[in-house]
Amino acid sequence: MAIPEDFFYSKSHEWVSFEGEVATIGITDFAQSQLSDLTFVELPEVGTTFAAGDEAAVVESVKAAADVYAPIAGEIVEINPVLEDAPETINADAFGAGWLFKLKVMDESELDVLMDANSYEEICPQS
Amino acid sequence: MDNAWSITFDEPVAYEAGLLFQYRLLAARQAGKIPDTVVLLQHTPTVTLGNRGRDNYLLKSEQEYADLGIDLFQVERGGDVTFHGPGQWVLYPILHLGGNEADAHGYLFNLEEIAIQTLATFSVDGFRREGKSGTWTEQGKIAAIGFRLKRWVSFHGMSFNVENELAGFETIVPCGLEGEPVTTLSKLLGEDMPSMPAVGSKLLDCFEEVMGRNLIRYQSMDLLPEALMACDPPRF
Repeated sequence: MAIPEDFFYSKSHEWVSFEGEVATIGITDFAQSQLSDLTFVELPEVGTTFAAGDEAAVVESVKAAADVYAPIAGEIVEINPVLEDAPETINADAFGAGWLFKLKVMDESELDVLMDANSYEEICPQS
Repeated sequence: MDNAWSITFDEPVAYEAGLLFQYRLLAARQAGKIPDTVVLLQHTPTVTLGNRGRDNYLLKSEQEYADLGIDLFQVERGGDVTFHGPGQWVLYPILHLGGNEADAHGYLFNLEEIAIQTLATFSVDGFRREGKSGTWTEQGKIAAIGFRLKRWVSFHGMSFNVENELAGFETIVPCGLEGEPVTTLSKLLGEDMPSMPAVGSKLLDCFEEVMGRNLIRYQSMDLLPEALMACDPPRF
């Protein structure tokens, strides 16, 4: 799957897409492929605030569990309601319908730590 | 190929001691103090439940497990209930995934591949089963998998039945799969059975091949690199 060019990325394989001051966050296609078929997603509650790098969610497949980190600081304003019943949506569409949560960005200066698609592509193994 | 370390324990390690060692390796790997490191050990008899492990797959009470000399742990890995005991090799790869090396397949696939290739070196046909992870043979399941990633460093991993007593598995519903037999390499090979160290060594060979890492191999009693000693490996 191609890496969307207009998204930003963290070293821990989360993607970020901005709409005004709200950032949508998910895991990359590489990340979902390492875990195989996801069966459970533990999402944060709306209203929770995270610092950059905090553990914000857990994604699980039958045999694997992986922590997902808030790539930037912010307050959770929305979680993806689809994932409770259909966590496999992440496998099918990691960069789209499989988004995890939306954050209201707290500190715009932090955005510099994110990578653009080209930089992420360099660190990301290609299958 | 990247260099990685392996550390093999000859004596069975209590589950809790092994878990503490894994946590220290995980922190050291995340901090870049050690390279990728794989632990190969046997546990003293232990039943563990994964994250979503349901305790209705435990067929005994806590007291009965205690009376049988089996430790019981709930651990933060994926996967369901399983049994560990002497005669079973457990592989705990503390690997940083998603760097520049070619993880063309998923990590789960790679763990299964290590078991399949190891079996092949003993002329045993191992295979995957659709919708059921782990590695299987004609006689039943031989390798069980459950792992966790923290900051894209793996811990927990895979157990591979070599010559362990299967009685421990009779106290649980392994991986929540009812009516599915569990087997060991010694049951499959009979008299041609290789030694535990020989099988362990093959597992590490296949690990190198599948994971694309060149292993510098240590035994737990060797003079270990300082960074490994700092992780306080269990000593006997």
